[in-house]
Formats: sequence, structure tokens, C-alpha cells
Amino acid sequence: MTTGTAPTTGTTMNRHKIGMLFFIGSEIFFFLTLLSSYAYLSGAFGNMPRTNLAVPRTFIFSLFLFSSSLTIWFAERSFHARRYGAYRLWMLLTIALGLTFLTGQGIEYTELIRHGVTLNYDVFASAFFTLTGFHGLHVITGLIMLGTLTGMSFAGKLGPENESAVASLAYYWHFVDAVWVAVFSVAYLIFV
Amino acid sequence: MHNLYSFANSVLSPASPYARDIANLFWITFWISLVILVAVSGFVIFNMIRYRDRGQGGLPPQTHGNTLVEITWTAIPFAILVVLFVLTVQTMEAVSPPRHPKGDPVNVDVIAHQWWWEFRYPDSKVTTANELHIPVGESVHITLTSVDVIHDFWVPELGRKMDAVPAHPNTLVIEASKPGVYLGTCAEYCGAGHAWMRIRVYAQTPADYQKWLAAQAKPHAPPTNIDQIVGMGFFNSSCSACHNINGSGTPGAHDVGPDLTHLADRDTLAAGVMANTPADLRKWLQDPQAVKPGVHMPNLHLTDKQINGLVAYLEEQ
Amino acid sequence: MAQKSIAASPEPADPHELPFPPLNRGWGWLAWFSTTDHKKIGVLYMVTSLFFFGVGGIEALLIRLQLAAPNARVLTPQEYDAIFTMHGTTMIFLVVMPIFIGLANFMVPLMVGARDVAFPRLNALGYWVFLLGGIVIYLALFTGSLANAGWFSYAPLSESAFSSRPGLDYWIVGLIETGVGTIGAAVNLLVTVVRYRAPGLTWWRLPLFVWMMFITSLLILFALTPLNAGLIMLLGDRILHMHFFRANAMGGSAILWQHIFWFFGHPEVYIMALPAFGIISEVIPVFSRKPIFGYKFVAGSGIAIGLLSFAVWAHHMFAVGLGVPLNAAFGATSMLIAVPTGVKIFNWSTTMFQGRLRLDTPLLFAAAFIIQFVIGGITGVMFAAVPLDWALTDSYFVVAHFHYVLFGGSMFALWAGMYYWFPKLTGRMMDNRMGKWHFWLAVVGFNMTFFVQHILGIMGMARRTYTYPDLPGYFALNLISTIGAFILAAAVLVFLWNLVWSFRHGEVAGDNPWDAWTLEWATTSPPPEHNFDRLPPVRSARPLFDLAHPDIADHVPSPAEGHA
Repeated sequence: MTTGTAPTTGTTMNRHKIGMLFFIGSEIFFFLTLLSSYAYLSGAFGNMPRTNLAVPRTFIFSLFLFSSSLTIWFAERSFHARRYGAYRLWMLLTIALGLTFLTGQGIEYTELIRHGVTLNYDVFASAFFTLTGFHGLHVITGLIMLGTLTGMSFAGKLGPENESAVASLAYYWHFVDAVWVAVFSVAYLIFV
Repeated sequence: MHNLYSFANSVLSPASPYARDIANLFWITFWISLVILVAVSGFVIFNMIRYRDRGQGGLPPQTHGNTLVEITWTAIPFAILVVLFVLTVQTMEAVSPPRHPKGDPVNVDVIAHQWWWEFRYPDSKVTTANELHIPVGESVHITLTSVDVIHDFWVPELGRKMDAVPAHPNTLVIEASKPGVYLGTCAEYCGAGHAWMRIRVYAQTPADYQKWLAAQAKPHAPPTNIDQIVGMGFFNSSCSACHNINGSGTPGAHDVGPDLTHLADRDTLAAGVMANTPADLRKWLQDPQAVKPGVHMPNLHLTDKQINGLVAYLEEQ
Repeated sequence: MAQKSIAASPEPADPHELPFPPLNRGWGWLAWFSTTDHKKIGVLYMVTSLFFFGVGGIEALLIRLQLAAPNARVLTPQEYDAIFTMHGTTMIFLVVMPIFIGLANFMVPLMVGARDVAFPRLNALGYWVFLLGGIVIYLALFTGSLANAGWFSYAPLSESAFSSRPGLDYWIVGLIETGVGTIGAAVNLLVTVVRYRAPGLTWWRLPLFVWMMFITSLLILFALTPLNAGLIMLLGDRILHMHFFRANAMGGSAILWQHIFWFFGHPEVYIMALPAFGIISEVIPVFSRKPIFGYKFVAGSGIAIGLLSFAVWAHHMFAVGLGVPLNAAFGATSMLIAVPTGVKIFNWSTTMFQGRLRLDTPLLFAAAFIIQFVIGGITGVMFAAVPLDWALTDSYFVVAHFHYVLFGGSMFALWAGMYYWFPKLTGRMMDNRMGKWHFWLAVVGFNMTFFVQHILGIMGMARRTYTYPDLPGYFALNLISTIGAFILAAAVLVFLWNLVWSFRHGEVAGDNPWDAWTLEWATTSPPPEHNFDRLPPVRSARPLFDLAHPDIADHVPSPAEGHA
């Protein structure tokens, strides 16, 4: 009578979450390309990076970004528990932490440019600005999405039926964080 | 109808121990491949004839597969490829520059330009262009680079091809087994003149080669008549911005246009595009863009007097 | 008996899912522009690709005209360089990739018993972004400078110092756009297959075309973004004067461009081949009246090819001077990838063995595919033997190789698929007689054009050359190739005419004219907007076969089922 058991994917993943994961997969390869190009070109960097990059300061600002992964996790948990006030608070905190990180990037960029190290100064500058710049763009995109969901929540338009959007955004944000771990390691710690 | 072996330039008419190793590997791969192609095509065509629907109705046996067959036709090609890989690595080693070259190889620096070839013999301080002379029977070690875009040095009968990459010198070894003229070409798309960046390799007996080298090392003969004096004067005042002739009195640029010392000794002009005759040289000087569109030498709108002078000076022995 | 199912999806209906607005319905202009229906979007992709196929084909004929005789001056060198660049770019990015995406768009939801793809609006966006990209690439015509650095645009030739006209910038931006559209399509296909399979349709019962499109979509996901990264870097070099690929004292690397490009470029050729493999895997069983031989091995070898395709890229760089260890390693992986490909070939041929072959047009194209793809595959293995690559790369031998796999292979498979699925798309059969004319003209024209190019390559003719010296044999062989190209053009014209004529006057097809077995044939031709009124029970890879022949059904009980 029936058509047999329906296939399951064995998870609670719906299409939005799965779609976001596939998309993140493609972005991983985007960053892998930029990272490996940075590494490949680093042989020709000379003395540039070590003297110009503020490693400790950037590390501090990185901690802000890493903690934003924690705060978005708390936000998700609040959302699942239907504590929407708490959700909004944690989201605002996440946004603030993300903005702080970007400020740190801005300071780094400004100092480099003040030293004459502009985008097209040499191969290190080209690679550095492109690698960190695209990460920054991904952070900005994440912040826009975070702001959108937070705004929707304030307007009373975010409810349990939007669980997949909340979860997918969290995946994206954690991804952006993980990419920074790689970028920081490659550009500030390893290939200097 | 010629056979494949009698064509100029053929990968399968090797005139070099290196090219011969490559050709041998080709033939081994070819015969294995032919067997596979005939077997598969034959099987397909056989099936289409033998098992075509003749309107008898019903279904054929609904065979789903056979694991043993699958393993077999995975394992056998894998084994063939292992053998092929071993032969590949052996041939790679055989045709690459040896780690410890024996004796005294001939060293040549080949520098690729858009769209001509600079040949320097560092041990003899000779610089020439587009026509490479080598002694028969001796390994010629080429250091290959480019000043602009990626080019590729390819003389099929003498050895492998190799890219000339800016800021990334490569080494390559060729050798001719018998005297002759071997044709080659640039084999990496490099812009408008890619089709006209040809190579001629003259493999000579060691004695002839030494004679040629010695003659090249001498300066260009001084002018002996009025036309040649006019030509040399014009060359020094204008052409030396891009070209050099040893003995013209003015040092010319080395990295813009080809060195023209002893131009008359060459068989061709413009990287193998024209024969080297006064008439052809005249045509080139009148309008290089008409012969080789896009070439970096502009049409200088030379007068007849200037052209006559240059032809006389450049073509003198 | 089949249960009536309204939603053919295991997910509950999404209350926020917009119903198709009235604008979207029907067949008017507005419906086509605003559609989010996978079937219409699929047709949009395919029709657009066919248009670009015409453009790319004209470019090919111009190339062959210029090469018909030595020292010909049909075009200027700069025009010729732009035309071969655009020919490659068009055929790869604007024809083969999108036409397979279009076909998959139409067929995959039907083949898995779904109502649409997972993200219908993203699907539409993907198409329009792709179209925009194609237009931007050709917009360069208005600057008087189409891109002319070759379809792989090697640095430093593609840098502003050597290619100062803006055409290349348009090319870069246009390709980034088509890439984004393609990635969107890939995400859609992946999620559709993961989440929207009909009840009973487990992974090992999926049609092989769906398998191959799934793997292809993964390849797109992981290969297109590296290309985009490289394109962004090249654009940065060109307009922001950055230093990635400018090989000079500033430290840029021309070779880095090649690594990035070919890391994309090699999976790209499998993106163009795997869908063809999928089509052949559908056509041959149906027209042999028996199941595919070795289903799991065909599916599994597709996975192997997908994985390996990321490990072979530097075989396009054997002549660059990477050193013996790297060359040997990539030579090994490149030889290895021949094994799963061979497995497929053997499985397809053996499917025909002891079958009852209906020699209709789809099967003819499929058979020619096998033979021609084997030829292309053989020369591919030759290139994997590194010293042979050192002899033959960048010559007409490689031009012959890739046309054998991409045209003799993928294009012929596409034709098989089009003759097979045209009835499902339109409700009418394509004309058989014209199909035979198309087939024979194509076989003669294709082989005449490209077989002699193997010989030209061996004889030392370099590729991408505007002209060639009058050496013995060069003129004759090039002329033969040119004549072949025009015969091939005639074949294409017959095909296009067949498409148009059959659309109007073809014999009415019915639901399942080929007596095929997969789910797309379980609905009308063309399908209704919602695809299925009801789904048959799915207990094997051939649901309709099981329904028609219950005594010899394929049914393989899954562990979760009890008795059928």
C-alpha cells in the first residue's frame, strides 16, 4: 500500500542548513586558494611583514572575534529556549564583538598605509590586503545578516519557524571565525 | 603520400638520442592504446550488430553485473598503467639534464622575447638570434628564460619542449645525432607574433661549428663603400636604440631587438619568417608591420637611401 | 498500488513557501522572465547555451578559415587571437557547463520525484546572473577589444603590461559572474538530491544521471571558487596594479596563476564530462532493454573521478619546469584517473552485450560517444606519460585530444540526451530521419576535423598559432580539417532545424515513448507544473520496470522494509 519508508538524512538538517553548509564548503576553497597563494608568494616577501605587522595587538583583536562565536552560540541557545530578549542581547553582543574586530583590522590597515605599504606596494602588500580584506568582507556580510535577524527579532518578526535561518547564520559566523584562525596563523605567525 | 617520418619537424622522426627516447615511449603507448581501442570499438560495434532488436519481442536477460569482471577490468588497466609509469619515469630521467654532466657540454643561454629568440654562448661571448648553431653529437645545455611573457622552446626532432618563464629560469638539454637544419617554433601562446617566432637549429660537424663560432666572435666587417657607410651611420644613430652590431662603433641595446652582428650569415629574417635576401630585408625595412603584424618594431618610414644603406651594411659578409 | 501523494517531498510543506504567483504561470514573456519553475529555468539555460553554441561555432569556423591555407590573411593576428580566446571561453563557460546545468535543472527534480529544486528563487537568480556574465564578457566588443590572452589567460601575457586593452577586464568580471550563477545552481542541485528524494529512493537507487550531476555539483562548488579567487587577483593586478602574477623583481609569480587556474581547470573538464557520463548511463540501458551493468561501480567510479580530479592539475604544467618529483607525482595521479574512467567504458559496452538494441538516434550518439571518448582518453593517457607531454603539449595533438573528449565525448553525449529527453520536455519526438542525417554528418565532420590534428601535432604544428609555415603536409591536413569543420557545421544546422521542426510537428510522444524506467517517465510529457500527480512505488533503480514486470522486478529490499 505505502511506498516504503521515506529516506532520511539521519539528522535534523533542513534544506536551508544543508544549503548553507554546501555554500560554506565552496567558500572554504576560496580561502584555501588565497591562503596557499599567500604561502607560495611568501618566499619573495623579504623583511616586510615582520617589521610591519602588529602581531600581539592583532591577536587581542582576534580574541574579540573568537569570543563572538561563543556569544552567537549563547544566542542560538536562547532562541531555541524561546528567550527572545536574551537572544537579542547576545546577538547585539556578537555584533559589537565583530565590529571591534573590524576596528582592529582598520587600525592595522591604517598603520600599514601610513608607512607607505599600500595595496600595490609590493607582493606582500597585495597578498596581505587581499587575504585579510576578503576575510573582512565576509565579516561585514555576516554582520549585516546578524543585524537583519536582530532587527527582525526586535520587530517581533522572528519566531520558531525561523529556526533554520538562525542556525544557518550561526554556521556562517563560526566559519568566518575559523577562517580567521587560518588567516592569522598563516599571515601573522607562519609565513612572516 | 609522404609517410609520417619524412615530414620536417616530426616528433616521430627523432634526430637526437633524447627525441628517440621520447619517440620510443610514444610507440609503446601507441600500440597498447591501439589494442584497447580496437577491442572496445570492436565490442561496441559487434554488440550493435549482433544484438540489435529484430522485432522478436520480450526482454533480454536482465543482467545487473558481475563483481569478478569488474575487478578484472580494474586490475588489468591498473597494471598496464604501472608499467607505463615506470617507463615514464625512466624516460623522464633519460631526457632531462643529467645531475652530473660529463665532459664539457656546450652551454647556451636562450632568452625568449616577444617574438624572437636570443642565443648567447657564455663561454665564447657570442650573441646571435633565431638561428642556433650546435655541434653534432654533443649535449647542448640550454638555460631558458624570458624577458616578457611565457614562451616555449620546441624543436621536436632534437628533444623535449620547455617553457621560457620570466623570473623562473629552466634548463633543458638537446643534442643532434646528425648534421642538418632542424626546425622549431615557440609553443606557448605569447601574443600577436606567436605564429612567427620560429627556431632554426643548425647542427654542424664540430669543426664547422668551431669555425662558425670563431666567425661570430669577430666584429662585423667595417664598411667598404658609400652605401655601407651611410647604413652604418644610420644604424648607429637610430637602430642602435634597439639593436646591437659588434664593431659598428656604437654599443647598441641588447634586450629590445635581436643582435644583428653578421646578419648576412643567417638564412632567415624576422625569426624564420622570411628568407634572408636583400629584397626581403628591403621589404622588412619598408614596413615591418606588413610582414609581422604587431611586431614591436615600428614602421620607421625609412627613405630609399636609408634602406639601401642599411641593406648594404647588414648584408655584407 | 501507488498512493496518491500531493507533495512528493518527505519534508512537510513550508508555510512560508510562496505559492507560484499568477504572473509566473503560463507561457508568455512575463512568465519566462519571472519564472522560478525548474523546468522553465532549465529550458532558459539550454536555449541560451544553444545560442552561445552558435556563436562559438562561428568562431570555430573563422579559426578554421584562417588556418585553411598557410600564411592566410582572413583575419588579422589580433582578431584571430581574440576569436580563439572567445571560442574556448564561450564553449566552456557559456555552452557546455550551462547546458548540462540546464538539463539537470529540468531532469533532476523529476528523476528524484520532487516538485521543484530546493531553492526555486535562487535557481532563477543563478540563471540571470549567468546570463549577465555571458553578456558582460561579450560587451567587450564595444571597447573594440575582446579578450585575447587565450581561454586560460596565462600571466604575464594577461597582465596590463602585455594586454592593455580593457577587453580582458570584461572577461574577468563576466567569468566571476557566471561562476557565481553556476555555484548557485550547484548548491540547489545538491540540496535537492539530499532532501527531496521520493519515498523509497535511496542513494543506491538514484538514476546515474542524478549521481553524476551530484558529483559534478560538488566539483563546481570546490573548483569555481578558486577560479574566482584567481580572477580577482588577476583583476587586482590589472586595475589596482597589485603584484600577484607579474613575474618580475617584485616577487609575483606567473606560475602561481597556472596553479590556481588549473586547480580549477582540471575539475572543470570533469564538470563537463561527468554529466555526459550520466546521460550515457541512462541512454544505453534503456535502448539495450536491460539495466546498466555494474550500477555501483559506475556510481563509485564517478566518485573516484571526482576526488582524483583535484589531484591532477599540474599535468597541464608539465612543460613549465616544476621539477622531476612533482612531474612524476602528477603523472602518476593522471594515469590513475584513467582507471575509473575505463571502468565506466567497460560497463557501458557490457550493458549493450546480450541486450536487445534499438538503434534509435540516442543510442547511435551514445555508441559514437564511447568510441570517440576512448580515443580522447587514450591520448589523455599519453599526456600523462610526462615525456610524451613534453613532446606534444601545446601542439595540435592536444587540441585534437581535448576536442575528442569534449566534442566527440560530451557534445555527442549531450546530443544523445537531447534526442532521449526532448519528448519529455516538449511532448513530441524528434524526427528520426533528420536524426540519422545529423548523426552521420556529425561523425564524418567531427572526425575529419579533429583526427588529422593529431598528425599535425606530431608534425610539430604549435597550437594557438595565427598561421603556419608551408611545410610538407601542413596545408593538406589543415585543409582537410577545415572542410571537416564545415561538414560538422552542417550537422549542427540539421540538428537545430530538427529541434525547431520537431517542436511543432514531431510525433506526439506520450508519457513514456521509450518504455524507460526512471521517475521522469512517470508523468506526462511535458510534465505539469507540479511535476507529478502521483508517484509509483520506488523499490529499485527502475521503478517503472518493476511496475511493468513485477515478476522479474529489480526490487532489492532495503533493510528498513519488511516484505514488499
